[in-house]
Amino acid sequence: MRLIKRNWKPGEADDWTKEDWYVIVLSPLNYILLTIGFGLSVLMLPIGFILLGAGIILTILMHWIIDPKLKAVSNEYEEKQHKYLEELEKKVRWEKENG
Amino acid sequence: MVELQLIDWIWIIGFILVMIAAGILFYRLGKRSESDFFLAGRGLPWWLPASSVYATHTATDTPMWVTGVIYRYGFAGIWYTFFAAWCAISAFVSTRIFRRSLAYTQAEWNTLRFGGLGAEMLRGWISGWQVFMNMFILGWVGIAMGKVCNYLFGWEIWVGLIVFSAICAVYVLAAGYWGVIMADFQQGVIAFFVIIVVSVWGIVAAGGPSGIVTKLGEMGQSWRLNPFAFTGWFSGDFPIAWFLTMMVIAVLGGFGMGTSIDWYAEAQRIQSAKSVRDASYSIWWGTALVLIRNSVWAVAVLAFFVLFPNIQNASEYEMGWFKLGFDYMPAGMVGFFFAAIIAIHLSTISTHLNLGAMYFTHDLYLHYFKPNATEKEIVWVGRVATFVLLIGSFFYGLMMEEITSWLIFALWLMAAGVWLPNVLQVVWWRFNAWGYLSSWIANLGMSWLVVWILPSFGIIPKLPDYQQFWLLMLLGAMVYIPVTFLTKPEKMEHLVKYYAMSRPIGWWGPVKKEAERLGLLTKIDVNSAEVKL
Repeated sequence: MRLIKRNWKPGEADDWTKEDWYVIVLSPLNYILLTIGFGLSVLMLPIGFILLGAGIILTILMHWIIDPKLKAVSNEYEEKQHKYLEELEKKVRWEKENG
Repeated sequence: MVELQLIDWIWIIGFILVMIAAGILFYRLGKRSESDFFLAGRGLPWWLPASSVYATHTATDTPMWVTGVIYRYGFAGIWYTFFAAWCAISAFVSTRIFRRSLAYTQAEWNTLRFGGLGAEMLRGWISGWQVFMNMFILGWVGIAMGKVCNYLFGWEIWVGLIVFSAICAVYVLAAGYWGVIMADFQQGVIAFFVIIVVSVWGIVAAGGPSGIVTKLGEMGQSWRLNPFAFTGWFSGDFPIAWFLTMMVIAVLGGFGMGTSIDWYAEAQRIQSAKSVRDASYSIWWGTALVLIRNSVWAVAVLAFFVLFPNIQNASEYEMGWFKLGFDYMPAGMVGFFFAAIIAIHLSTISTHLNLGAMYFTHDLYLHYFKPNATEKEIVWVGRVATFVLLIGSFFYGLMMEEITSWLIFALWLMAAGVWLPNVLQVVWWRFNAWGYLSSWIANLGMSWLVVWILPSFGIIPKLPDYQQFWLLMLLGAMVYIPVTFLTKPEKMEHLVKYYAMSRPIGWWGPVKKEAERLGLLTKIDVNSAEVKL
């Protein structure tokens, strides 16, 4: 089994997989690195540039991991969206659902 | 006191006209339908709502409190601004789930997630609370603008409050969310550019980056450069225990919905994005920009500390960043700076005018009062609600000094005892509407006890806020967990519909199994029963 899956078939991407969990860990870490790294880099401190560099690389990695999955989720979901919206409108307006 | 020259007035009037025009240009789009007036037709590319996330969370009072915590705690004060990091996980978890629900508002989502009377009660409560909260935030931010204008020009406080909110209302009334989002993009760009320019100007005035580091060393204040300069594990007013609590609230809060007060505004941006992917990126990048901006501000405030190191009065040093801009920017740029402050202000005001109006129109008027309203009527009700919010915010703003401590207490209610229920409603199928409702009610009573009543009788000591958070979470759980198990779960049919549509994360085993048994999780077929709600 591959460490990171980047080819998603319709329907597969709806499940929560290890790729989501990689991103759940990476994303807050990236925010921490970018926040501290940027500030300390403005102060021209070497540690700032190291942290900022790490933050940028990990942010690119995060997108590399999750972007194919998000595309697959979006493509599949948008096919259903119109029908869902119609049903939601009925619910808001207290209309009876058919069937 | 700042004196404006002709060139300054040209900057200011020019900017105001451009901002209003940007909104009014979209008048025709805004009036087409409810979806356009409140969600810009659900078709925005990620960078537009992202710029709105950034612009909205750059308010007039933001540089004041960022300056306050950095001046007091050094660079480590940046963690006070890190609550925005709830978007780190949310962008890829709760944003995805919420976007798939297609709910206009969090109140509407409650009726998709929960069913029956409990869900309707929740919808009424959340929507009423949000109308109130948006009016309150408008008053809060409006009065901050009043104070800035008073500080700069000596104007009466009500002038800054009323004039700029009223200018903003012009394009929000005309074009609704289309006006908000288009003006936010422009205002976000202006605000980011000016924040960088003013901060760099201040840093240069303090001797540049190396000058700041050297001078802090000479002053014996080098600890101010350390982002982890805490006062001990539990001791002092900035302990590690506070930092860890903040991290839990901010980061793990991303699994839930409503764990941050900002969620309600972001939820509107999430639904206005054209796809799940666009929604995720808008939240992630908008917040990344907020955090990077905060770190630029932090360095500028360190520069301000080097220039003015011995200010004891908080209300004086909180104006530090404004002082850098107005005292050190060259002639002709003061108006440019003030125009950017107006941009910062308008972006926040416009969001909360439209957001509060959406809760009133969609969740109260349309859902409870007139379900058969036409699209044209809904748009007009949205405009009337916007206007009422504007007028209400003036009253809130003018009495803000008297009610601030009460309202901070009300905000605290949003954070502490309902934090975990806000997560549980997303990740645990068995959590029901009665459990969630009881957590709100329990928190109302518990927070009074823990924050005010028990300490005033000497029964418990006055606890630091992070300890109050854990205690309120524990006490609340002792109510809503038994209530959840003593009441019936939501109907499986309702949960299965929600699951098939939103695909939530967490403990949804029995619901997933039932959805699979019904064949709802197999392939896409918009015409079959599998997508029926």
